Amino acid sequence: MTDGSISGSGGRIVVDGRPIEFAAGDSVAIAIMRSGKVPGGGGTLCLAGDCGNCLATVDGVAHVRTCEVEARPGTAVAGDPGHGKPPLPIVDGRDLTRTPIGRELGVRRIDVDIAVIGGGPSGLAAAAAAAAGGGNVLVLDADSGTEVVAIYPGRSIVAREPAGMLHVRADEIVVATGSAEIQPVCPGNDLAGIVTSGAAERLQAAGVGLGVAVAIGSPPSGVACTVLDGRLIRFEGDATGRLRSVVTTNTDGSEMTTACDTAIVGLGRAPRDVLARMTGDDAISLVGSVADEHPLPAAPTAGEICRCMGTTVDDLASAWDAGYTELELLKRASWAGLGPCQGGACLPHVRAFIAARTGTVPEPFTARPASRQITLAEAAADTTIDAFRRTPLHDEHLALGARMDRFGGWWRPWHYGDVVGEYWAVREGVSIGDVSTLGKLVVSGPDVVEALERIYPCHVADIKVGRSRYALLLNERGHVMDDGMILRTGESRFVLSFTSGGAANAEMWIRDWVDTWGLRVHVMDRTMSLAAINVTGPHAKELLARLGLAEPPRFLGHLEADIAGVPCHVMRLSFTGEAAFELHHPVDGSVTLWRALLDAGRDFGIRPHGLQALFGLRLEKGHVIVGMDTELDTTPHRLGMDWAVRMEKPAFIGKAALERTSRLPDTRRWVGFAMDGEAPPEGSPILGRDGDEIIGNVTGSWTSPLLGRALLLGWLKRTPFPDRVVINGREAVVTATPFYDREGLRARA
Amino acid sequence: MVVVNPGAVAAFGATEAVASLQPIVWHEPRDSYDVVIVGGGGHGLATAYYLATRHGITNVAVVEADYIASGNTGRNTTIIRANYAIPEAIRFYDHSMKLYEGLEAETGAAIFHRKKGHVWLAHSEMGMRTERARVLMNQAMGVNTELLGPAGVKALVPQIDLTGGGRYPVFGASHHVEAATARHDRVAWAYASGATSRGVHVIQHRPVTGLLRDGPGGRVLGVQTAAGPIHAGIVLSAVGGRVSQLAAMARVRLPVRTHPLHAFVTNDFEQGLAKIVASTELACYVSQTERGQMLIGAEFDSQPSFSRLSSFDALRSYAYKITRLLPFLRSMRILRTWAGLCDISADFSPIMGETGVDGFLITTGWGTWGFKAIPAGGEALAERIATGRTPALIAPFGLDRFRNELAMADQASAGTR
Amino acid sequence: MPALEPLVGRRVIGDPDALDAAIWSGRDVVVLRLAPDEAFGIGATAVELDDEHAIDESEAGFVGAVLSTADLADVIARVDWSLPSDPSALAQGKVAGVPAKLLIGDPSLLVTHAAYAGELADRLGWSS
Ligand SMILES: Cc1cc2nc3c(=O)[nH]c(=O)nc-3n(C[C@H](O)[C@H](O)[C@H](O)COP(=O)(O)OP(=O)(O)OC[C@H]3O[C@@H](n4cnc5c(N)ncnc54)[C@H](O)[C@@H]3O)c2cc1C
Repeated sequence: MTDGSISGSGGRIVVDGRPIEFAAGDSVAIAIMRSGKVPGGGGTLCLAGDCGNCLATVDGVAHVRTCEVEARPGTAVAGDPGHGKPPLPIVDGRDLTRTPIGRELGVRRIDVDIAVIGGGPSGLAAAAAAAAGGGNVLVLDADSGTEVVAIYPGRSIVAREPAGMLHVRADEIVVATGSAEIQPVCPGNDLAGIVTSGAAERLQAAGVGLGVAVAIGSPPSGVACTVLDGRLIRFEGDATGRLRSVVTTNTDGSEMTTACDTAIVGLGRAPRDVLARMTGDDAISLVGSVADEHPLPAAPTAGEICRCMGTTVDDLASAWDAGYTELELLKRASWAGLGPCQGGACLPHVRAFIAARTGTVPEPFTARPASRQITLAEAAADTTIDAFRRTPLHDEHLALGARMDRFGGWWRPWHYGDVVGEYWAVREGVSIGDVSTLGKLVVSGPDVVEALERIYPCHVADIKVGRSRYALLLNERGHVMDDGMILRTGESRFVLSFTSGGAANAEMWIRDWVDTWGLRVHVMDRTMSLAAINVTGPHAKELLARLGLAEPPRFLGHLEADIAGVPCHVMRLSFTGEAAFELHHPVDGSVTLWRALLDAGRDFGIRPHGLQALFGLRLEKGHVIVGMDTELDTTPHRLGMDWAVRMEKPAFIGKAALERTSRLPDTRRWVGFAMDGEAPPEGSPILGRDGDEIIGNVTGSWTSPLLGRALLLGWLKRTPFPDRVVINGREAVVTATPFYDREGLRARA
Repeated sequence: MVVVNPGAVAAFGATEAVASLQPIVWHEPRDSYDVVIVGGGGHGLATAYYLATRHGITNVAVVEADYIASGNTGRNTTIIRANYAIPEAIRFYDHSMKLYEGLEAETGAAIFHRKKGHVWLAHSEMGMRTERARVLMNQAMGVNTELLGPAGVKALVPQIDLTGGGRYPVFGASHHVEAATARHDRVAWAYASGATSRGVHVIQHRPVTGLLRDGPGGRVLGVQTAAGPIHAGIVLSAVGGRVSQLAAMARVRLPVRTHPLHAFVTNDFEQGLAKIVASTELACYVSQTERGQMLIGAEFDSQPSFSRLSSFDALRSYAYKITRLLPFLRSMRILRTWAGLCDISADFSPIMGETGVDGFLITTGWGTWGFKAIPAGGEALAERIATGRTPALIAPFGLDRFRNELAMADQASAGTR
Repeated sequence: MPALEPLVGRRVIGDPDALDAAIWSGRDVVVLRLAPDEAFGIGATAVELDDEHAIDESEAGFVGAVLSTADLADVIARVDWSLPSDPSALAQGKVAGVPAKLLIGDPSLLVTHAAYAGELADRLGWSS
């Protein structure tokens, strides 16, 4: 090949550090060839995006087909030929992913009636016909810069545009992607200087000279070359990997060697139908040469069949002989088709290879995304996940120095810097905690009592207005799904609370069941409408009195009251073991209420507590945290919570299962343990008394500041249940819970 | 004329790969066998192999609907590890990991087994609580897993962004030192080669369409196929994501649902990511294959389905998540995406052995985690078939555990394969 | 730059027919019909409906932003699902991955839960 003369330079690209001139409209591959070099690592160039022979690293993206990228001033190209492996990209210190929530690349989204992929004559004709039929038509054409990556189920098309990504939803898709030229498979087909007929025409059009050129098979039009009629036997080259001559058959079968700079091969075509085969949807049709029957090439006998992976015909034959005698096995065993062109070049030959051995032409191997490759960043364009919720007190927590953490789909204060101090504030003074994340539903309706009686395993009808009851929520198998409070606010109206993150499931659960039963019950999720502050500690009542709550509810009572001017639903319960009042209130009053509580409690040494202190406080009381302590098949019995289940009730969800499983041997039990010294980490294995068998695990662990010992909750899973175990190399004693204030006097005080 | 940067030829290429293949022998099928195994995935083939090698039982056929390893065995992300959270699972997977370590020596087949270490990241206090529990339980079971802080993670995975893209800060990780990967289809072929060379029949392209029974509710006597019945002393179902359909033929209902799981690979790069990196919270993971590709997976689709079509929603979210942790992946191009059908059990643990129907055994519930289990699962089922007794290693994983309220719940370990 | 401001009003769960015929009082009330049995009357101070068991609560848990045509285009660019074909219908789904509601009109209104306000503003680039 000779250097092409440049008429109308487009500027310079930089190839392996050296600038080269390109002409306006050149692809990077053509620009490289214009400079007298060859892109990639040798092999037949198609310059049409079908083979993997012109790969390079372009502007930091490895494995780019240079024929598919337009040359622009400054485009940086580093060689990364088919067989080489580029190093891992290095990300500089300024990490793009740190910019807000990762919207680095835009996505344009379009809904159309008909999308036509391919802007050649058949595609344009199909588009015109569709438009004439009144459809809203979109043509996606790689030459115009829209590269289709894949078609996904639901007829959604993902494409790359110069400015970003394009996501299209179409009712119908017409694939007009044409056909690819067959690559030669013979010895020497890895040399540089071989092009397809189409590539020769493209080079000619770009004004890139081919030097002395010979054509094998159907010749290109308008390209000066010597046409050889014989069958291709091999290519011959020099030590640099450069083509020197072509060997073909004479009419008498003898070999004829023709010296040349460029060999042009026209060996037929194969459909470019990968996109059409990705989803197999009836509303995807093919037009033009992609839809045509194309004969397979002759079965290959020698040479590299898969340039991407370096598989030779001999390799294919060896794999076949070892028993890998079908297309999908042969592909995986020989690696043919596993490379960047995904069989674009080798598939017709592999099929011909098999057809010659079995007499049947195998179906092509499965087509999967991506047809045009995209980077992970392009795939992830405008992707967002995990919208974490913030309570109205988020900024208050930050101002108080809280370490925020994600928990149950919310940002929550883990601690405020002094877990033990927070603990003592609850036990000895007064403290506030943000429990806005609790699930909260309002249920109402003529059948609401009936519905709740069936949903919960405890009695509901006897809860008086203004009173409440703790309840477990069970599934049909009698396993614990959630827990919370049932608060009666009217004859036919209740407020239900659930764990953080439990409300959405609970709402579905209740709606599903009441519909199933045909009961008239309304359900409103108030989780994000109401915030809640837990005021807890020996001084809680007094603190609330200062803010206007003269008549606090009794234990398990609740009432409506204004506190610091904020309308609150005040619920008296206790998770911490001390007197506790949950103030549920509209989110717009939260900051006022929170600050008023902190102000009014200053002389009590009030301070907020985070989750970590709360976990310790509840542990001393032996309260379960569903999800942290429970497992998939945890029954109330295993938790020691038979008291929360009223088997005498006529029916409730899970009752039949509990009746059955109550007759099974007692094999797993969740209990308390106490031991001297520091608390071992949560998750510690529990060993039998002789310390050699694992019989359970710790789900909660806390060095009690008050009791000066380690208190634990955890599972025993070997019977007979022991009363002494070994945890962390130390002896622990199975201990009844609660560990603290067994009579519950403090909570009721 | 100069070729731009002629690349170094990879040390191990297609020719070497082909040279290392072990032959698979195809036999003319018979119409009766002592044992018929339905499903030519890893579990079916391994069971056949161990029947032949450990128990001398070779009158065995593996009946496969498509080609061998066409199911999840040829689609998975090849992670082999034992860092589970419950003792029964740790013991089982640790044994499997050890069998894997010896598999190349035992079979002579190249399965590209590489020890890498599995770094399981945590991004919250609760995440750390899970990893800490895992480390403690692993160590108590003699499995080499250690707890790392952020600096320890950085030392093992220098490319990591410890801020997690500003969103998922790395609090630490558990590092399971012995974790490995192996080339998936080569594992299936190693077993197929070892089994067929000893006389086991592998029959491809023969979907089982029904079961032969000794009257309604009676013993299973064989399988029905489009090409005629095949009689069997014992039938083992090892059909991956199709298990509900096969079990229904025996009127057995299983606590299993089939969910698609996707995966994708980039093009080849020089080796540079030594560890398997995973995150439970983000439910995504990556390792570098022997070819140099980045192999990336994440959580299964929440919607049950039998579709193996790729999903863009999965691709974009997987790509988004993994690039939070390893930003260098951003500029890598995706070579191929695919999906498998995972048999997800109610407690995220396998179900092996008896079904309550005479002559009909199952191995299922392999979900997104059963590649690592192929050697131990196959070995144990072979023992069960040969001796009629359920080995202690798999006794906790019987189907009856659901009725007996003895679930082997281990969801937090299944999350990232 | 638009801002997500607190919205107050009344949220009601009731029989669909009763909600259809509900009479809302208040100034410039905008009623978002969130579900057949659920409506949020922005700016409503009271509502009358023929369902004695209706759950009728004052509601402060939402925030909203008034959008110019240009703002609306920016917001729609972050929606990866098909908007309802009736342009005046309330569109509900994720905007930039955050659960939200979009009332297209003149002007348009973007509504989300207050708990998501920070996240949504960050993702739309509205946080200063
Ligand atoms: C994307 C992905 C990633 C994964 N990553 C990992 C990982 O990193 N680590 C890990 O340990 N596990 C992983 N897994 C899970 C693992 O792949 C599987 O659990 C394991 O391969 C199951 O093997 P199997 O033999 O049970 O099933 P399969 O390999 O699915 O084999 C079942 C076979 O049964 C055949 N079959 C079905 N129905 C019939 C019928 N009626 N008649 C005859 N034959 C039939 C199928 O064609 C198939 O070949 C992953 C799975 C997927 C999909």
